[in-house]
Amino acid sequence: MLVLSRKQGESIIIGNDIVVTVLEVRPDHIRLGIDAPRSISVHREEVYLEVMRENAAAVATADRDAPVLRRTPPARRERGAGASEEGSRPDLGP
Amino acid sequence: MPTALTSDAITGERVLTFEDGIPGFEASRRFVLVELAEDSVFQLLQSLDEPGVALVVTVPWLFFPDYAPELSEMERRALGIECPEDAIVFCAVTLDAEHETIYLNLLAPFVVHAGTRRGRQVILTDSDYPVRAPVRMVAV
Repeated sequence: MLVLSRKQGESIIIGNDIVVTVLEVRPDHIRLGIDAPRSISVHREEVYLEVMRENAAAVATADRDAPVLRRTPPARRERGAGASEEGSRPDLGP
Repeated sequence: MPTALTSDAITGERVLTFEDGIPGFEASRRFVLVELAEDSVFQLLQSLDEPGVALVVTVPWLFFPDYAPELSEMERRALGIECPEDAIVFCAVTLDAEHETIYLNLLAPFVVHAGTRRGRQVILTDSDYPVRAPVRMVAV
Protein backbone atom coordinates (compact mmCIF):
# COMPACT_ATOMS: atom_id res chain seq x y z
CA MET A 1 0.00 0.00 0.00
CA LEU A 2 1.26 3.44 -0.93
CA VAL A 3 1.23 5.75 2.07
CA LEU A 4 1.31 9.55 1.66
CA SER A 5 1.06 12.34 4.21
CA ARG A 6 -1.28 15.20 3.34
CA LYS A 7 -2.42 18.30 5.17
CA GLN A 8 -5.80 19.92 5.11
CA GLY A 9 -6.38 21.45 1.68
CA GLU A 10 -3.81 19.24 -0.03
CA SER A 11 -4.67 16.68 -2.69
CA ILE A 12 -3.45 13.58 -4.41
CA ILE A 13 -4.01 12.71 -8.06
CA ILE A 14 -4.83 9.13 -9.09
CA GLY A 15 -4.26 8.38 -12.75
CA ASN A 16 -4.83 11.42 -14.94
CA ASP A 17 -8.19 12.59 -13.78
CA ILE A 18 -9.06 11.57 -10.22
CA VAL A 19 -8.26 14.15 -7.54
CA VAL A 20 -8.78 13.42 -3.84
CA THR A 21 -8.57 16.45 -1.56
CA VAL A 22 -8.40 16.51 2.23
CA LEU A 23 -11.07 19.07 3.09
CA GLU A 24 -11.17 18.85 6.85
CA VAL A 25 -9.27 17.02 9.58
CA ARG A 26 -10.80 16.28 12.96
CA PRO A 27 -9.71 14.04 15.80
CA ASP A 28 -12.05 11.20 14.86
CA HIS A 29 -12.64 11.69 11.12
CA ILE A 30 -11.51 13.45 7.98
CA ARG A 31 -13.58 14.83 5.12
CA LEU A 32 -12.46 14.04 1.59
CA GLY A 33 -13.50 15.68 -1.66
CA ILE A 34 -13.27 13.50 -4.75
CA ASP A 35 -13.24 14.78 -8.31
CA ALA A 36 -13.54 11.92 -10.77
CA PRO A 37 -14.98 11.34 -14.24
CA ARG A 38 -18.63 10.38 -14.08
CA SER A 39 -17.85 6.92 -15.38
CA ILE A 40 -16.02 6.28 -12.10
CA SER A 41 -18.29 5.46 -9.20
CA VAL A 42 -17.18 6.34 -5.70
CA HIS A 43 -18.68 4.68 -2.63
CA ARG A 44 -18.04 4.22 1.04
CA GLU A 45 -16.40 0.81 1.23
CA GLU A 46 -18.74 -0.69 3.82
CA VAL A 47 -21.78 0.27 1.73
CA TYR A 48 -20.30 -1.23 -1.41
CA LEU A 49 -19.47 -4.46 0.44
CA GLU A 50 -23.02 -4.61 1.77
CA VAL A 51 -24.42 -4.31 -1.76
CA MET A 52 -22.01 -7.05 -2.91
CA ARG A 53 -23.28 -9.34 -0.16
CA GLU A 54 -26.92 -8.65 -1.03
CA ASN A 55 -26.29 -9.34 -4.71
CA ALA A 56 -24.67 -12.65 -3.80
CA ALA A 57 -27.66 -13.40 -1.55
CA ALA A 58 -30.06 -12.60 -4.41
CA VAL A 59 -28.18 -15.12 -6.59
CA ALA A 60 -28.39 -17.68 -3.78
CA THR A 61 -32.11 -16.96 -3.51
CA ALA A 62 -32.51 -17.66 -7.23
CA ASP A 63 -30.54 -20.91 -6.95
CA ARG A 64 -32.19 -22.19 -3.80
CA ASP A 65 -35.56 -20.57 -3.39
CA ALA A 66 -37.00 -19.93 -6.84
CA PRO A 67 -39.58 -22.74 -6.34
CA VAL A 68 -40.77 -21.11 -3.09
CA LEU A 69 -41.07 -17.72 -4.74
CA ARG A 70 -42.95 -19.22 -7.68
CA ARG A 71 -45.67 -20.70 -5.51
CA THR A 72 -45.80 -18.27 -2.59
CA PRO A 73 -46.58 -14.69 -3.52
CA PRO A 74 -45.62 -12.10 -0.94
CA ALA A 75 -48.21 -9.76 0.49
CA ARG A 76 -48.62 -7.76 -2.65
CA ARG A 77 -50.35 -4.44 -2.29
CA GLU A 78 -53.61 -3.81 -4.05
CA ARG A 79 -53.22 -2.65 -7.59
CA GLY A 80 -53.10 1.11 -7.74
CA ALA A 81 -52.99 1.50 -3.96
CA GLY A 82 -50.83 4.54 -3.60
CA ALA A 83 -48.67 3.68 -6.56
CA SER A 84 -49.71 5.45 -9.71
CA GLU A 85 -47.94 4.88 -12.98
CA GLU A 86 -46.22 8.14 -12.26
CA GLY A 87 -45.05 6.70 -8.98
CA SER A 88 -43.42 3.75 -10.67
CA ARG A 89 -40.59 5.93 -11.85
CA PRO A 90 -37.69 7.28 -9.88
CA ASP A 91 -37.79 10.79 -8.58
CA LEU A 92 -35.11 12.38 -10.67
CA GLY A 93 -34.88 15.48 -8.56
CA PRO A 94 -35.11 19.09 -9.70
CA MET B 1 -50.91 -1.01 -12.32
CA PRO B 2 -48.89 -1.86 -15.40
CA THR B 3 -45.19 -1.77 -14.73
CA ALA B 4 -42.39 -1.31 -17.16
CA LEU B 5 -40.78 -4.47 -15.89
CA THR B 6 -43.57 -6.86 -16.65
CA SER B 7 -44.27 -5.51 -20.09
CA ASP B 8 -42.84 -7.15 -23.18
CA ALA B 9 -40.75 -4.06 -23.71
CA ILE B 10 -38.14 -5.20 -21.26
CA THR B 11 -38.45 -8.93 -20.70
CA GLY B 12 -37.52 -11.53 -23.22
CA GLU B 13 -34.72 -11.21 -25.69
CA ARG B 14 -33.75 -7.62 -25.03
CA VAL B 15 -30.21 -7.47 -23.68
CA LEU B 16 -29.45 -5.04 -20.88
CA THR B 17 -25.88 -3.74 -20.77
CA PHE B 18 -24.22 -2.96 -17.44
CA GLU B 19 -20.86 -1.65 -18.59
CA ASP B 20 -19.31 -1.79 -15.12
CA GLY B 21 -20.86 -5.09 -14.15
CA ILE B 22 -22.59 -5.08 -10.78
CA PRO B 23 -20.99 -5.19 -7.31
CA GLY B 24 -19.74 -8.71 -6.71
CA PHE B 25 -20.22 -9.72 -10.34
CA GLU B 26 -18.04 -7.27 -12.20
CA ALA B 27 -17.51 -9.67 -15.12
CA SER B 28 -21.23 -9.72 -15.90
CA ARG B 29 -21.94 -6.97 -18.40
CA ARG B 30 -24.89 -8.34 -20.35
CA PHE B 31 -28.14 -9.45 -18.77
CA VAL B 32 -31.67 -10.38 -19.75
CA LEU B 33 -34.77 -10.24 -17.59
CA VAL B 34 -36.71 -13.49 -17.40
CA GLU B 35 -40.09 -13.98 -15.75
CA LEU B 36 -39.74 -16.29 -12.75
CA ALA B 37 -43.19 -17.73 -13.46
CA GLU B 38 -46.31 -16.68 -15.29
CA ASP B 39 -47.86 -13.66 -13.56
CA SER B 40 -45.09 -13.62 -10.98
CA VAL B 41 -44.09 -10.39 -9.31
CA PHE B 42 -40.51 -11.64 -9.52
CA GLN B 43 -38.09 -11.76 -12.41
CA LEU B 44 -34.61 -13.15 -12.82
CA LEU B 45 -31.85 -10.79 -13.86
CA GLN B 46 -29.88 -13.42 -15.75
CA SER B 47 -26.26 -12.79 -16.66
CA LEU B 48 -25.27 -13.76 -20.19
CA ASP B 49 -21.58 -13.55 -19.32
CA GLU B 50 -21.66 -15.76 -16.22
CA PRO B 51 -24.40 -18.36 -16.69
CA GLY B 52 -24.43 -19.21 -12.98
CA VAL B 53 -25.35 -15.65 -12.05
CA ALA B 54 -29.04 -14.82 -11.87
CA LEU B 55 -30.55 -12.50 -9.27
CA VAL B 56 -34.16 -12.44 -8.19
CA VAL B 57 -35.54 -8.94 -8.78
CA THR B 58 -38.86 -7.13 -8.55
CA VAL B 59 -40.48 -3.77 -9.12
CA PRO B 60 -40.04 -1.97 -5.78
CA TRP B 61 -43.31 -0.01 -5.99
CA LEU B 62 -45.33 -3.21 -5.76
CA PHE B 63 -44.24 -3.39 -2.12
CA PHE B 64 -43.13 0.13 -1.30
CA PRO B 65 -45.45 2.54 -3.13
CA ASP B 66 -43.77 5.59 -1.63
CA TYR B 67 -40.28 4.56 -2.67
CA ALA B 68 -38.60 7.62 -4.20
CA PRO B 69 -34.98 6.99 -5.15
CA GLU B 70 -33.13 10.12 -6.16
CA LEU B 71 -30.51 9.73 -8.82
CA SER B 72 -27.54 12.05 -8.64
CA GLU B 73 -26.77 14.35 -11.53
CA MET B 74 -23.73 12.16 -12.18
CA GLU B 75 -25.77 8.98 -12.42
CA ARG B 76 -28.38 10.59 -14.66
CA ARG B 77 -25.73 11.79 -17.06
CA ALA B 78 -23.89 8.49 -17.04
CA LEU B 79 -27.08 6.69 -18.06
CA GLY B 80 -28.44 9.46 -20.30
CA ILE B 81 -31.62 9.70 -18.27
CA GLU B 82 -33.32 13.03 -18.87
CA CYS B 83 -36.84 12.39 -17.59
CA PRO B 84 -38.48 9.81 -15.30
CA GLU B 85 -39.95 7.96 -18.29
CA ASP B 86 -36.42 7.11 -19.45
CA ALA B 87 -35.77 4.97 -16.38
CA ILE B 88 -36.77 1.38 -15.66
CA VAL B 89 -36.15 0.49 -12.04
CA PHE B 90 -36.02 -2.82 -10.21
CA CYS B 91 -34.51 -4.13 -6.98
CA ALA B 92 -32.72 -7.30 -5.90
CA VAL B 93 -34.71 -9.71 -3.73
CA THR B 94 -33.57 -12.19 -1.09
CA LEU B 95 -35.70 -14.68 0.76
CA ASP B 96 -35.66 -15.84 4.34
CA ALA B 97 -37.92 -18.84 3.85
CA GLU B 98 -37.81 -19.84 7.50
CA HIS B 99 -39.17 -16.52 8.61
CA GLU B 100 -41.46 -16.11 5.61
CA THR B 101 -39.95 -12.79 4.71
CA ILE B 102 -38.46 -11.36 1.55
CA TYR B 103 -36.06 -8.45 1.53
CA LEU B 104 -35.73 -5.79 -1.15
CA ASN B 105 -32.50 -3.89 -1.68
CA LEU B 106 -33.87 -0.35 -1.80
CA LEU B 107 -30.47 1.27 -1.31
CA ALA B 108 -29.04 -0.02 -4.58
CA PRO B 109 -31.74 -0.23 -7.28
CA PHE B 110 -30.98 -1.35 -10.81
CA VAL B 111 -31.70 1.52 -13.17
CA VAL B 112 -31.89 0.88 -16.91
CA HIS B 113 -32.43 3.45 -19.66
CA ALA B 114 -35.60 2.38 -21.45
CA GLY B 115 -34.26 3.36 -24.84
CA THR B 116 -30.60 2.38 -24.83
CA ARG B 117 -30.99 -0.57 -22.41
CA ARG B 118 -27.85 0.59 -20.64
CA GLY B 119 -28.03 0.20 -16.92
CA ARG B 120 -26.26 0.50 -13.61
CA GLN B 121 -26.81 -0.71 -10.12
CA VAL B 122 -27.00 2.70 -8.50
CA ILE B 123 -25.95 2.97 -4.86
CA LEU B 124 -28.01 5.90 -3.65
CA THR B 125 -25.85 8.56 -2.02
CA ASP B 126 -26.67 9.73 1.48
CA SER B 127 -29.92 7.77 1.43
CA ASP B 128 -31.64 6.16 4.39
CA TYR B 129 -33.11 3.36 2.30
CA PRO B 130 -32.01 -0.05 3.61
CA VAL B 131 -30.25 -2.80 1.67
CA ARG B 132 -32.71 -5.22 3.27
CA ALA B 133 -36.25 -3.85 3.46
CA PRO B 134 -38.50 -6.65 4.80
CA VAL B 135 -41.82 -7.74 3.29
CA ARG B 136 -43.86 -10.52 4.90
CA MET B 137 -44.88 -13.43 2.72
CA VAL B 138 -48.50 -14.53 2.52
CA ALA B 139 -49.13 -17.77 4.39
CA VAL B 140 -50.57 -20.46 2.13
